[in-house]
Amino acid sequence: MAQQGISDEPASSTTEDLMKQVQQGDMYAYQELVRRFQKKAYRVICSYIHNTEDAMEVLQDTFLKVYTARHTWDHRLSFAGWLYRIAINASIDRYRRSDRGRTSSLEDVMETQVHQSMTTRPADDPLGQMHGRERRRLLEEAVRRLPPRQRVVVSLRFFGDMRLEEIASELECPLGTVKSNLHKAIMGLKGMLLERKEALNYE
Amino acid sequence: MSKCETIREMLVLHAEEALGPDQRQLVEEHLAGCAACSREAAQIGTVRSWLTDPELFEPEQNLAWQCLPEKLAARAQSLPKTRRSWAGLSLPQWAYVTLAFLPIVVGLIWTLRFQTPAPPAAAPALVATGNEAFLNRMHTAYARGATAQYLSGCHDLLLNLISAEKTCTNDRYDVSLEVTRARQLLQEKRMLEADLRVPDVARAKSLCDELETFLVNLSMSQECETGDAVRGMERFIESKQLLLRIDLMQPGIVD
Repeated sequence: MAQQGISDEPASSTTEDLMKQVQQGDMYAYQELVRRFQKKAYRVICSYIHNTEDAMEVLQDTFLKVYTARHTWDHRLSFAGWLYRIAINASIDRYRRSDRGRTSSLEDVMETQVHQSMTTRPADDPLGQMHGRERRRLLEEAVRRLPPRQRVVVSLRFFGDMRLEEIASELECPLGTVKSNLHKAIMGLKGMLLERKEALNYE
Repeated sequence: MSKCETIREMLVLHAEEALGPDQRQLVEEHLAGCAACSREAAQIGTVRSWLTDPELFEPEQNLAWQCLPEKLAARAQSLPKTRRSWAGLSLPQWAYVTLAFLPIVVGLIWTLRFQTPAPPAAAPALVATGNEAFLNRMHTAYARGATAQYLSGCHDLLLNLISAEKTCTNDRYDVSLEVTRARQLLQEKRMLEADLRVPDVARAKSLCDELETFLVNLSMSQECETGDAVRGMERFIESKQLLLRIDLMQPGIVD
């Protein structure tokens, strides 16, 4: 039942349709957009920001910015790409404004893990031996250490679920550049994880 | 480059299913007979699968995902409707915008005082058209001012970056001010997005976007950068002819 600026919204509407309704002030459509993208956007933001509370604030700022700038979204462009661009810019702003000392480095993580590994030695098998939380924490820090261009590509590809062609369009660069950055990023992550594996006394 | 090296260059894209049929076949045939490359492919597959782990970057505590959409909708509706904060503009921007509007205001006063009144029957339509044209002119003038301001800021920043000095330890260049300025310009660029759709300044969009990409990278730099990093940025500025293009673009925007 349609109400003041609010309409019933079928869950099957495309993102772009929802955004057009948000442009007309439909707050149900806005809530549905938030629901669909909140976790993806949160993960994109977390590839830039370590602190959970800061990341949550940036997430909220991002969606508020989506609302206040809704009329500037061009319906010919991907909503996801536009959203992630806002999220990444907000994350960079927050990162630069925050005290960098609060962000734990990969070395800090490694130090903790090396200490733990002195008491518990895992079984064989290189990368596969990193399990659960430990592996995730190392990978998260490794992602944050990627050069900016590679990090954007990894972030949009894996956390934003965007296709390589969409990423190229969003970053306004050739598809080949995106592929090249993705290749370097994955190889870089693999290298960093293997280094950690050795530091942690994995065989 | 050996066969294995060539194949390894394609393994990530193979895992992404982004290779053409010929290249895919080449990779698969090679992997079938090369244990070392197969191991490499397996490790790449492992890293990719970890990246798709839904728990990666998940917060440790249980965030209220269910409530967030409703909470944000309430906050969004309570936001003030003003598009720009004029109080946030610095004096030079004010001066610039005032100068840009001055001819329009003078023209409007002249029109109101000296123009022959229109016949009564046609008056409503003329008034509506006149108001719309006036608003368009105001928006265009503002967009011109804001775009010129952004380009000018980028121009100064690029010049400063090129003349950065080695005042840090280990022969590093101090680019701390440039990094801070890049961050401010990124914020300005976000405010500029709507203005860049105004026809009179739309041709500056591509240049502004290229500058934004550069600013994003610069804003992520260290405050003390190596000579290689600074020279890399200089080469980028030179190869894209950013300074020249700003110089060529600005007169057309200001006029």
